[in-house]
Amino acid sequence: MSEDKPIANPQVILREEFDDWAVLFDPDTAHGFALNPVGVLIWKLLDGKHGLGDIVRVVRESCQDVPEDVEGHCREFIDSLVQQGLAGFEMKNA
Amino acid sequence: MLEPGDGDRGRLRVMRTPKSVDIDITDRCNLRCKYCYFFNSPADVKTDLPPEEWLRFFEELKRCAVTEVCLAGGEPFIREDLRDILEGIIRNRMRFSILSNGTLVTEDMARFLASTPRCNYVQVSLDGSGPETHDACRGSGAFEKAVAGLRLLQQHGVNVAVRVTIHRQNVRDLEAIARLLLEDLGLGGFGTNSAGHMGLCQKNTEQVELTAGERELAMRTLLALNKKYGGRISAQAGPLAEGRMWSEMERARRAGLPSLPDRGRLTACGCVFDKIAVRTDGVLVPCNMLSHIELGRINRDRLDDVWQNHPELRKIRERRFLSLERFEFCSGCAYLNYCTGNCPALAYSLLGVVDHPSPDGCLRKYLAEGGRLPEEELHEP
Repeated sequence: MSEDKPIANPQVILREEFDDWAVLFDPDTAHGFALNPVGVLIWKLLDGKHGLGDIVRVVRESCQDVPEDVEGHCREFIDSLVQQGLAGFEMKNA
Repeated sequence: MLEPGDGDRGRLRVMRTPKSVDIDITDRCNLRCKYCYFFNSPADVKTDLPPEEWLRFFEELKRCAVTEVCLAGGEPFIREDLRDILEGIIRNRMRFSILSNGTLVTEDMARFLASTPRCNYVQVSLDGSGPETHDACRGSGAFEKAVAGLRLLQQHGVNVAVRVTIHRQNVRDLEAIARLLLEDLGLGGFGTNSAGHMGLCQKNTEQVELTAGERELAMRTLLALNKKYGGRISAQAGPLAEGRMWSEMERARRAGLPSLPDRGRLTACGCVFDKIAVRTDGVLVPCNMLSHIELGRINRDRLDDVWQNHPELRKIRERRFLSLERFEFCSGCAYLNYCTGNCPALAYSLLGVVDHPSPDGCLRKYLAEGGRLPEEELHEP
């Protein structure tokens, strides 16, 4: 995945609520997913232009007390978004 | 008790934009139910907007990350362009619900609703187990058409909700209504309320509004039916909700509790913290039952600005800081610290004042008029 650049599902709504927390809402399923401020930061980078390395760098630059294994956390988070249909990867032409 | 200005105002946490929007999509209806809150109210402005206005507004709702639109009126299915409007909602990433009398649902529309995953539910109003009770306030032929509409929606797999409005003509029909809805029609549940003193109900009070004795009968019957049917009857207002809340208040009084959480102030209405409403003419209002309070207009005023900054909206949100002690109406009431003051829209329609407890939901008044609480509820934990 480190080479791929994930894209947020354009049908999914990001509702930014209080204190930089947010909810992702999938209108097709009516399911909501809570995001903490770091999750919101990452979600906004899922534009098909940022790979995992870019995302990890932005998290390191923007957040305090970033753990050593932040890359693993970011990968796990993005994988869970993809598994739930909230994000994906651009289809490349054969 | 908290009062505005004591520093607690700053604790009001309001989302950046509303989560959902209630839209009165049309001023037209094929029925004139005797207790309709819409007609003969400030919501009834005799204007329908063209679809282009709504479609433009939906684009703003998308930008504001609104997740749900509820269409009411008037009768939404009377609009010939309803499908275009629904497609606009879907295109802008939202879900929708429709409040209807059920009589104008067509095969084509039911098929369309079933084809989209975005329909939360269509709520059909059904007030009787047969034409005698349903049509008493809704007009001849309404029952057969409403049931046909409801069955059509069910056949296509559309999620159907039913709301039963309780009034003087159907208060003795509740057992048969529950049997029809939960057994014969196989619904998972249904909601109840009662005809409130708003709109056309104000002209038909004698025929419609429950007396204290009828309210007690409705309360007892619904509580018993809800036990029989395993909690499949719901209510946010009306006799079932009152039966629960008033019993809780009486238990608190008997136990000598100093207060209940979030009580003793005008805390009843939470709607203005996550949704806003729009009249048929595009005027933004706090709630479609408080349509006299004009906050702005769609496609002219920014929704997020109205939502965050309009002083009238802020004032309604700050009702919750108004202690019931300040009202002469509540003076000496033994339930004061257990009470929410009830619906602001009913307070307005009865007294012409929003910032006041609603006399309609007053337990002390109910008891003074001879109403009693179901004894079995008073012993529950």
